[in-house]
Formats: sequence, C-alpha cells, structure tokens
Amino acid sequence: MDAIKIDNLAYHYEDQAPLFKNFNLTIQAGDWVALVGHNGSGKSTLAKLILGLLERDDGKITVYDLPLTEENLGKAREKMGMVFQNPDNQFVGATVADDVAFGLENQQVPSQDMPAKIEAALKTVGMAAFADREPHYLSGGQKQRVALASVLALQPKIIILDEATAMLDPQGRAAVLQTLKDLKKAYGDQLTLIMITHDMDEASLADRVVVLDDGKLVLDGTPAEVFEAGDQKLKDLGLGLPFSVQVSQALKVQPPHYLNQQELLQWLLTLNK
Amino acid sequence: MNKIVIGRYLPGDGWVYRLDPRTKILITFIYVLALVFTNNWVPYVWATAFLILVLALTKQPLALYWSGLKPILWLIIFTVVLQIFFTPGSPVLWHWGFLRVTTPGVVNAVYVVIRFVLIILMSTVLTLTTPPTSIATALESLLGPLKKVRVPVAELALMLSIALRFVPLLLDETQKIMNAQKSRGMSFSSGGPIKRAKAVIPMLVPLFVGALQRALDLANAMEVRGFQDANQRTHYRVLKYGHEDYQAAAVTAVFVVVFALLVLHFG
Repeated sequence: MDAIKIDNLAYHYEDQAPLFKNFNLTIQAGDWVALVGHNGSGKSTLAKLILGLLERDDGKITVYDLPLTEENLGKAREKMGMVFQNPDNQFVGATVADDVAFGLENQQVPSQDMPAKIEAALKTVGMAAFADREPHYLSGGQKQRVALASVLALQPKIIILDEATAMLDPQGRAAVLQTLKDLKKAYGDQLTLIMITHDMDEASLADRVVVLDDGKLVLDGTPAEVFEAGDQKLKDLGLGLPFSVQVSQALKVQPPHYLNQQELLQWLLTLNK
Repeated sequence: MNKIVIGRYLPGDGWVYRLDPRTKILITFIYVLALVFTNNWVPYVWATAFLILVLALTKQPLALYWSGLKPILWLIIFTVVLQIFFTPGSPVLWHWGFLRVTTPGVVNAVYVVIRFVLIILMSTVLTLTTPPTSIATALESLLGPLKKVRVPVAELALMLSIALRFVPLLLDETQKIMNAQKSRGMSFSSGGPIKRAKAVIPMLVPLFVGALQRALDLANAMEVRGFQDANQRTHYRVLKYGHEDYQAAAVTAVFVVVFALLVLHFG
C-alpha cells in the first residue's frame, strides 16, 4: 500500500526558477522516511505540497489512494498530521489540553468524548501531567511533544515532521526522538513517519533516507545504502555524515559495512576479544 | 517577563476560578458600567469594598495585582495631569498662562485615578482567573444572538483567543529584540523624546516581521489540523452555570442595589 504517491510534480515559487520538475516519489505505508537536504533543497516545500498548503503547478499527489484535489483536501488532510519547526508558532490553545482539543474541535468531536481522547494522546507522548499548563511554562521539547500529541489525537496515518527538533536543546531533542521511536513501535505499519531534517544522525533512525538537492532526488535507499555509497555526494552537498560513519571512517580497521551508533559500539567491543 | 499581569491567565484554585467565564464577564461589565454613574466618594468606597472581596476570593497575592498596575502608572499620571491642569471651574487654586489648577480639577483627578484603578483591577481579575479560550468561548456564547444579524461571532471569538494567547509571546520577543539592540549600544532610555521615539523604530520593524511570520506559521498549523470554518466546530470547554454562579449573581445584585441607592443619595 502506498501512503503517498507523487507523480510528475511541478512547482515554482513566484518569480523564481522551477523548484520541482517531473518529480516522483512513492512512500510505502508504515515506512519511516527521512527527507534530507540543505536549506532551499525543497524538502519543506515538498511537505507543504503534500499537505496542500501550497498549490502545485502540475502533477498528481495521492494520499492512501485519495487524489489530492480541492474537493478532497479536507479528507486527505484527515489522514495526515504535521509538526512544524517552531514550537511556539503551532501552539493554538491557551493550555496543553486546549491545544490538543483544537484539532478535535475542528473535526467536530462531541465535547464529552474529548477529555478521554486528549488524555490518551498526552499519555502517549508522556505529557499527561502537564494538561493544564500554559505553553509559556513548557520547554521547547515539551511543546513539540504536545504538538505531536495534538496530531496523534486526530489519529492520522501519516505524520510529517518538518525540522521538528531543529530549535530544541539536546535533551528536548532526545525526548522527541525517543517519543517517535516509541510511537513507531506502538503503531507499526499503521503509522507512516516522514521526517524532514538536515541532521544525519536523526536521518539514520529512519528505514529509508531520501536526499533532495534543488528539487531533485539525488540519493534514495536504506541508511546503509545512502551512507555507504553516497558519502562523497553527501559531503559535496554539505550535509555531512552520521556520527557512526565519521567514527568508522577515522578507524584504522574499518567495519565491513555501514553500522549505526549502537551497532558500531557492539562491533568495537568484539574487536577487543 | 513575569512582570506583565494584565491580560495574562494564572492558574489557581480560588473561588473566582470556579465561576463560569460568562458570569465573570457580566459582573466585570456591570461593575465598570456602574462606576461611570458616580462622582462621589461614598459609592466609590462601596465599590472598593466589593473589589477587595473579589480580589480576596481569587486567592492570589495582592502584590501580584500591584505589579499589574505598575505598567499603566504612566497612563494614570498622564490622565491625572490632564485632569488637574485642564479642568475649568472655580475656585482657581493656582494658574500660570493657560494652565490652571481648580478645586473641581483636583477632585476629578482623584476620582479618575480611583475609577481607573478599580476598572483595571476588576478586568485583571477576569483575565487572571479565566483562560483566554474560556473568555473567547464565553463571549461567543454571550454574543451568540448577534449571529442572527450576520456578525461573525465565532470568528471574532477565535481571533480574540489567539490574540490573547500571543500577547506574552510577543512581549517576550520585544524584550529579546530590545536586549539584542541594547547589547549593540542602542539606548532606549536616554536622550530627548524624539531620540527615544526614533530608537523604537528599529525595534518595531523586527517585531512586526516576526509577528507576521508567526501568523503565517500559525495559519498553516491551524489549517493542517483541520480548521475550516469557525462556525462548524465543537467546543472542548463546555460552559455550564453552577451554584457558585448563582451565589455570585446574588452578591453582585446586592452590590448593584446598594451602589444604586448610594448614587441616588450622594450623587
């Protein structure tokens, strides 16, 4: 099953050269995809096109077999949720619970059903104890987890995270990433995660890494494939490599293939024996 | 940042917190309206007593309200100066050119200060004890009948709640921008009024740009979460009058009746 299918997408910003031209990308349901690229590579634009926040010039986007058209927009969006970069600019409610409620109110969920749904969503991200707090008293990482809960309450099949950890401190970021891992574990194939980032360590958490450059797909594959085969290309694009790859390359005796941080640690430990 | 009290909600468990937001809005409205009808110290004493009762029932420290008044001190002083120097009448206590201080001017100034402080404190109680969304929901409910004459009540209520939600954020941002510019040698507190006014411009530009960016981001976030029509939404916070509201109504009724009698008697 395809979660998202993009055919021949074309898009340009006003007064600028075309960003996307004959762009194709298919994302399988249940995948965890990292969309990476430097600033201006079109990754955030792509997310906005998928959500219909921007109007494409040409091409076709389908979300779970539902073509994204003006009539279908509302229905298609019900299947998707998005967490944006700035934690403050997506907090609509006055308190944590109000914010989670906002989406439910839009979907006209009956008032008496809301508290249970809000609590469940906040529990999933570990923020239930903060339900009555104002955003002002939360850290960036906590706000992003609330944003995630707001999205989860609407039970989307696809969650897009647009640089959701870029403005967070290391702890906040670790907490958000851990929440994502837990979610993926809990929902499995029922949840498709699309993570836009330019952090390669974050990207290495995904099952599939897609590298964009000026609206073109330059690398696409598992983290192993992308980081092994494409290391020169990634460097050329100014994207860098995940920490584990950097360490591996600096070693005298190098591991036979790509290892993530955990695997690399295991491998190094076996060398000692 | 914590200095700003006006317009800010502070969680608490006082009796006032348990009131329906509609009750609080109506009482605030009645109170403010009542104050307009008097120019005598006796009703003001009665109104002050009522306010003190309300403040006590919020269970918030009085120091908090005092710090809430501080930012508008200048506004009060400005109004007092206008009242003192530009109220005609006799006897004239002092005059210099077109400036004259008259007894009615001084008396008026005192009443203006009292009225100002009472009104500000009462509305601070409203915003301090009621989450912005509840105020918005309450206004939507109170102004509901206007929907019939095509006033976009739901949209306005949502706009209001979002505006209130962004007040502390924008104040924070103002502080940040000011600090950033101070750190590069800008002074907001020295020089004449023209120089000071000029210093504000480089602060306002980034503030506006930032606010617009926030607005665009927020619009996207709202749209993605399924916002389409403010009229086709359910509400998380359901308003319901409880026995506290009836108690409040009774107390307010006593206040209004006594106040009216005092005004009739003393003017």
